[in-house]
This record gives sequence, structure tokens and C-alpha cells, in this order.
Amino acid sequence: MLTDLLERLSSIDGPSGYERDVIECMRKEAGMIPGVFTEVDILGNFIVRKEGKGKKIALFAHADEIGFVLTRREEGNYWRFSTIGGIDPKAIISQRLKIYTRDGDIAWGIVGMIEPHLQTDEGREKVPSLDDLFLDVVEGGERVNTGDIGVFSSKPFSLSEKYFTGKALDNRASCATLLYTLELLNNFTSKSDLFFVFNIREEDGSPGAKTSAYRLKPDLSIVLDVTHGDISIPSMPKIETGKGPALGVGPVIDYGYLEKLKNLADKISVSYQLEPINGRSGTDTDLIQITRGGIPTLLLSLPLRYMHTPYEVVNIRDIEETARLLSYFLARGGE
Amino acid sequence: MYLKELTELSGVSGYEKRVREFIKDKIKDRVSHIEEDVLGNLIARKEGKTDKRIMLCAHMDEVGFIVSNIEDDGKLCIMPLGGIDPKVVVGKRVTVGEKEIPGVIGYKAIHLQRGDVYTPPKMDEIRVDIGVTKKSDAEGKVRIGDFVAFSVESMVHGDWFSGKALDNRGGCSILIDIINNNIELYYDTYFVFSVQEELGLRGAGISAEKINPDFSIVVETTTSGDNPEFSSYRRSTELGKGPAITFAHSGYVIDERLFKWIIDTAKEHNIPYQIKRRTAGGTDARRIATTLAGIPSAVISIPARYIHSPMSVLNLEDYNNTLRLISILLTKEVQL
Amino acid sequence: MKELIKKLTETNSPSGRESNIREVILKELDGYIDGYEVDRLGNLVVWKRGKTDKKILLDAHMDEIGVVASYIDDKGFIRIEPVGGVSPYNLMGGRILFLDVGIKGVIGVEGETNSDLQKNLKELNFDKVFVDIGARTKEEAERLVPVGTFGVYSAEFVDLGKRLVSKAMDDRIGCAVLIEAIKRSDPYHTLYGTFSVQEEMGLVGASVVAFDINPEMAIALDVTAWSDTPKGYKRMSIELGKGPCIKIKDSASISDRRVVDKLRNIAEANNIPYQIEILIFGGTNAAALQRTSAGIVSGTLSIPCRYVHSPCEMIDIDDAENAVKLLNALVEDSSI
Repeated sequence: MLTDLLERLSSIDGPSGYERDVIECMRKEAGMIPGVFTEVDILGNFIVRKEGKGKKIALFAHADEIGFVLTRREEGNYWRFSTIGGIDPKAIISQRLKIYTRDGDIAWGIVGMIEPHLQTDEGREKVPSLDDLFLDVVEGGERVNTGDIGVFSSKPFSLSEKYFTGKALDNRASCATLLYTLELLNNFTSKSDLFFVFNIREEDGSPGAKTSAYRLKPDLSIVLDVTHGDISIPSMPKIETGKGPALGVGPVIDYGYLEKLKNLADKISVSYQLEPINGRSGTDTDLIQITRGGIPTLLLSLPLRYMHTPYEVVNIRDIEETARLLSYFLARGGE
Repeated sequence: MYLKELTELSGVSGYEKRVREFIKDKIKDRVSHIEEDVLGNLIARKEGKTDKRIMLCAHMDEVGFIVSNIEDDGKLCIMPLGGIDPKVVVGKRVTVGEKEIPGVIGYKAIHLQRGDVYTPPKMDEIRVDIGVTKKSDAEGKVRIGDFVAFSVESMVHGDWFSGKALDNRGGCSILIDIINNNIELYYDTYFVFSVQEELGLRGAGISAEKINPDFSIVVETTTSGDNPEFSSYRRSTELGKGPAITFAHSGYVIDERLFKWIIDTAKEHNIPYQIKRRTAGGTDARRIATTLAGIPSAVISIPARYIHSPMSVLNLEDYNNTLRLISILLTKEVQL
Repeated sequence: MKELIKKLTETNSPSGRESNIREVILKELDGYIDGYEVDRLGNLVVWKRGKTDKKILLDAHMDEIGVVASYIDDKGFIRIEPVGGVSPYNLMGGRILFLDVGIKGVIGVEGETNSDLQKNLKELNFDKVFVDIGARTKEEAERLVPVGTFGVYSAEFVDLGKRLVSKAMDDRIGCAVLIEAIKRSDPYHTLYGTFSVQEEMGLVGASVVAFDINPEMAIALDVTAWSDTPKGYKRMSIELGKGPCIKIKDSASISDRRVVDKLRNIAEANNIPYQIEILIFGGTNAAALQRTSAGIVSGTLSIPCRYVHSPCEMIDIDDAENAVKLLNALVEDSSI
């Protein structure tokens, strides 16, 4: 069940640089799929290989999420903190954070907001920055230390029949899509040699994607990430949830392979949307394309609402359709 | 103590039903009389040794929102019920209406905010997302006028407690404990669980008018400010220092005799207490005091952090000391 | 080690002009290494064989920030461009030493009116400053400091006892620590020391230095910021004298947690004081090393340093000594 998988993946905590538990989870999930080999490379990327003759195609979905790190102890149980990845302070206020101590215990901290009555006039007009925010470690204050890592503690759930919400859907929804694609591929004999890479540290500038692409030397690489859904951005088409994957088009995308993908989508009735990218995409695609002698790249993005907040929202159908499109594409050897 | 259950219930100002039902169920067999009034205040009574009357009051409502419109894309527009800082609403889970439909309050991703990251959102731009894509789908589940309550799991952390609506389920829980602990009450004691306090102290006054007590004690959960961004002189109370006794707040100076009575009792029985330092904000005491011919009132509060947000914190030692103090006060006479 | 630090910091080698410092370092290491190579970008790579062929790479960047003469005007005043992260504010009241020619100059600021001058001082940038070498004509200046001449801060080394002050502590202290670590250790695995170029220009040397080496692990040695001065950075906790810093993350990279754990375990096993560091801004060569080819497990060990990128950077000698001890223990440890 896709929602069960999403719930499992969203519930695991793995901010950039601390993906161990997520990689373990991926390993378990992949373990249930027959006919594949798995490995973890030197930096920690998790790779599932489905052998086949033909082009070498590598798919990437980053497995890390945004997070927090404790930076300085203040009086009492208060701490200052920093973020891993870009997080809007508005999304951090009044949240309960789950903190992993050095010994692997859990501690809990509240990012508190002074009530309106005590705020000054100028305080009211401004959202506090990370320098002004503080973490009230209500449980485990004696056990936490500088450098301990935290995550949002929001629990994932089905928002409605079609929509799912929770933390880290950027990019666990894409990880789920890749796993689902692998399942669907069981029904095909693949015309390509496939590598599914669940890479680490995208939020840290993609060293995971770059180095695994370097090692694998694929003929084609396909990156799965998320993009902003259901919001109007000036001069951009509105990418909507429920309308299928957004296919990137622009200099970081291989036009030839994009045409093939679009034709296939039309043929098997998978709806898709085009997302123009003027320059770099801000995803793993950018570094992969210019690794080694250059690698043709495609970018498929799941439309996602409220990116980098504790309750991101995706449409289940989009995951299903993206996996369907990918499984056909891969089975046909990227044609 | 019913902090966890009470704080997890949805009871936004004007929609206190679930909280009222819960409280009624917990106390109905321990009181001599129980009734609900037109606005929804719950009033219970336990006899004492004399027939002079004391009214204890704790409001049941919490700050929240009301669905004000359903947009074409199925998202809900909301307006606040009570004082909510728009800075605390982003990225939160909510519950909507009688059918308790789950929703989330999302916000434009940080990547898309140009210079606006530090500008507080306006309530006009906030939307509740219940996972539908068009208005007709939403209309099957929610209606204009439905309440929207924050949906937060409460947690006990040793001596600490975190969750939403500590203001004022803390006070409600104290009242329930007093009722269930079967104290030897001196006065005829009326326990009022009031409504709509957050909308301008609207419920308590009508109960006071009906009961016409000789004096009242409002049991609240109040602001602290004890964090690294606030220098000591700006703080209101501090957690861990015991119940906070108010000397004055917006619209009322606490009756001096009651104030002294409370402090003397705390000292005599070695109960830690603190004086609430800031006078911003008000309580039902103002409304009660200005009812009928005037009803002298006092306020005793559990200090809490971050009230009026979906994630507040209190110290359970403070809760217990507040309960102890009030329990002892109720066995004694006061000269008015 | 103080003598070594003095020698290194008093050598003048801004990014792109590292031959001076490379020579000094090589001389220091003479007799202590099994071989060296200068690669195509000028990185100095030295090695000391251990019992196995596995490699550990320790890196320190040889370059310092500086300026370059970009234009000589009609009156002999010299305009400059920054080389690396020099802030014009750090030039105020100080002197520049132009290399090779050995000419010193002082800094002036444009200001045709009093308010212009004030405005320029408030919003200082390189267009508004110039260097005055005391030349009386354009020709004299061009002869002494032709366009393209590099310069560094002119600021001598000062020994304050436990604390040492100089320009270029960033990253000559890293170089000193690396030299001492190489000299003093008897490595278990083969030890590679890379003294890389042009870090201040964007981790240039480190992007290629490890390409042919393929180490099991790479650790960058650099300075980090500080928070222990009056109203210092409120969100960081880095203090001079409390030990070398094991970096968790900075703006450019997150240290591989295996490196963090390893360094921490070694420090604790050997009773070496250390701090855990999160730098809110900045970056080190570890970011580039990590992304080499198919990836290298990388991290950073930092020396706390006050007033980074100013002519008067200050470190604590104990932090440097402890860093050497820590690296020794790491390099002599058999488990990697």
C-alpha cells in the first residue's frame, strides 16, 4: 500500500549527513524486491541494481531531509540552534522537535514563541530570525550536547483519499516512487542495466549524487525530486498536484531523451506537466550533468505543497503515475 | 489530573462542547448540582460549612479559528477566534468542524519568498488545506462557520508538560481535581467552567450574575517570558517558582484582602509561590468583579510558556503547588 | 612550536602566489617525509609511509588572503582588488606589504566632503579605498608596484604567552599543526599531507589535490570562528583554549559523521580536550575533498581563532598543541 510506504518513509528521521536510519529503511524495503542487488557506497549512498543488457541508466532520489543542530547552550534548558537545509523560521515557531543525543537517546525541545501580550510593537512586526529563536529542551536537557541533531516531529497521515501529508516528503515521496517503480518493473524484463540510487546529502549541495554518478558512469541519469505545486509563480506555468509529474525542460535537461519520455507518456496516457528551468534546477541534476565527461540527464518532479514545512502535501496519484511512466520507460531501455 | 485529555480536545471559543462533555462526565457524580446555561457555561456546586458563596472559575475555551470562506480550489479561509499571533500558525495540523476533518496550515515554501521571509503572514493569506482540489469536494466535508482547532498531541516529560490549550485547560483540570479530591469546603463552592473568555471574557459574567457569589477566584494559566530573549525585568512569571498570584491586570486591581489572604496562606503552609510581575492581559476576574453590585475577585495562575500558540509548556510541580494552594484556601475563611 | 608558527605566518604568500610558503614548508619537513610532489596547480603533497598502503589525508591550505594592485593613478596612488575574503574595513588603519618589491603602503579613503567621507566609511567597498606608498609620481609608483603585484597585510607576529597574534593564522596555524603532526608521528597507515593552494579563492587546490591519492579519509585543518568575546556570536559556542574543534557542519559542508565520531573517540581515549563546532557561515577544504571523484569520507578539525580575516588573528597555543596530539593519536591508530 503506497500510503503505508509513505508513512514509513516519512516517519524515519534522516537529516543531511545523518541518513543512516533512512538507508537502513531503504535496505529493508528493497530487500522485499526480488532480483536486485544492493550496496552502500563509500559516502553512504544506497544503490539498488537491477541487471539487464543495454544502456546503463541511473535513477536518483535523495533520501535526506532538512533538520536542525544544537549550537549553543543557554541558561537552564535553553539552546540555540541552526538548520540543516533552508527552513523558514515561520515553519519552526511553535513546533516540537525530536532530538537525537550522542548516545542515541531521544530528547524533546519546543521552539517557543512569546505570547502577543509580551511582545513589543516592533517585535510584532517581524518574524524572529534563527538568531532570535531558541529551543526549550523540556525532556533530556541533561543529556543533549552541542552538535546533536533534531528533526520535526510531525506525524504523517492521509489528509484525504487522494492526498498524503507529513514531514520529509521532500524527498521521501520520490524515494517511494522509485521503490514502487522497482516493484512495477518486476512485470517487465528490462532492456537496460538499472541503478536506483537513494543518495545522501542533497540539502548539503549534492556531494552524494555527484560522487555516485562519477562512480557509476551511467549513459543516462534520471533525477526524481519535488517541485512547488499548486502555487502561482510569476511567468511560470502553474504546476498542479494530481496532474502527473512535472518534467523539467531547459539547459540541464537532455532534449532528446525528454522527447522520448513525452512521446511515451502520450502513448500510455500518463499526464505530465512541463516545468521550464532557466539555468540550474537546484536539484541533484545540476552536478550530475557535469560529472566526468558529461551525462545526459532528465528531471522528474512530484508537485508538492508547502515545501520544507512540517506538513508537506503530495497527491498519491502523482506518485503512481510517475512510477508507471518510469517503469515503461526503463523497460524500453530509455526509448 | 486530566491535562493530557483536556488539552487534546478541540474546544475553540464558542465551540466548547467537547470539553464541556468531558468535564461533565468527570464531575457529575461528585457534585450536588450541575447545570449548563444558554451560552454553554458549565456550573457545578458543592456545599460547604457556611452558606456564603465562593465562585471558582476556569475557562474551557482555547484560541482557534472559524471557517470564513471556502475557495474555488477547496482551501479554507479562516479568521481567528481569540488573540492568535499569525507567526505561530504555519506548518500546523488542525481539526475542522463537527466531522473533525483533519487539515494542515501550509505556507509558501521558503524558496519562493523573496524579501518576505521575516514579514509576519497576514491572516488573510492563511489557508487550511483539507486535501481536496475543488470547492464542491470541500463542501461535502466542512461548512462556513465550522470551528478550526489546532490538533496537537500532548506529552509528559518528567516534570514538564507540552501541548496546546494549556491556557486554560490547566485551570479546568485543577477544578476537576478539587472536586474529585473531596476537600472539606468552608464556603458553598460554585465551580464555573466558562466559555468565550478568549473573545472578551464573555461567559463568566453571566454565571456570576446567576450565582451572585460573595467573592471569586479565577484559576488561570498565564504567561511567563522566562527565556533567553527576555531579560529578567521583562518577564512576567518563571516556571518552577510555583503558582503566580496576580496583584493587578488589565481592567482590574485584585481585591487587596483576597490578595493578602492568598499570600499569607501560601507562606503559612510553605507552598512556593510567585507574584505575577506584568499586568498586560486580562482574565474573567474583571468581568466577574464588575457584575451586579461588585464581586471581589482574585486570580491564581499556573505559569506557562508560549500560551496562545499550539505548543505551550508548563511545569507539573507548579501545577501541583497551585492545586495544593487553592485546596487549602477553600478550607479557610477570609475576612471581607 | 611557537617558532614554527612565527616563521610560517611571517612568510608572505597570498592565494596564487604560494611559492614562498611552499619552500619554507618543504625545508621544515626535510628529513621527516618519504617523498613529495608539487602538482599542476602548485599544491604540495608529501607522504610518510606507514605499515599499510591505506592512506589518510590531512590538508591545510598554504595561501592567505591579500590584495592585488589593479591600477596606478596619475598621482601614484594604487587601487587594489581583494584576493580572497578581505573586507575593506580590515584595511583601515593598517598597512599593506607588496610582495617581491617589499614596498609598504597605507590605506586612504575617498571623501570630497565631510558627509561623503562619513558615508563612505559607513558603506565601505574597494572602489572607495586606495593604497598610498608615498610615491610622488605615477612613474615612481609604477616602477615600484607594477599592476598585478600581490600584497598582504603588514602585521607582525606577537607572542602574548598563551595566545599568539599574527596575520595569516588562517591557515598557517593549520600548516604548523600539520607539519608537527607529520614530524612527530609514526603513522600506522600511510600519511599524506597536502598543503593546498588558493583555498581562499574557493577551495581551488583542494578540488584536485586528492584526485590521484584515493585516501580512506581526509581531514581539513583550518581555523574556525569564535564566540567568546563581549557580545560575540550568540548562536555559536566556540572558545579559545577549550581545545581543537571537531566540526559538525558549516555553510559549505557537513562533516561525515564517521570522521566526527572517530575524532571524538580518539580525543576521549587520549584525554585530549576538544569542542564540538557548528559554524553558521564559512567553509573549508573538506567540502571540496569530499566531492573528489567517487567521493572521499571527509571532515574538518579546526583551531578556534578570533578576528579571522583581520591582520590580527589570535589563537591559543594549547589548542594547536592539542590538535597535534589528536592528529598523532589518529594517525598512529590502526583502525580506520
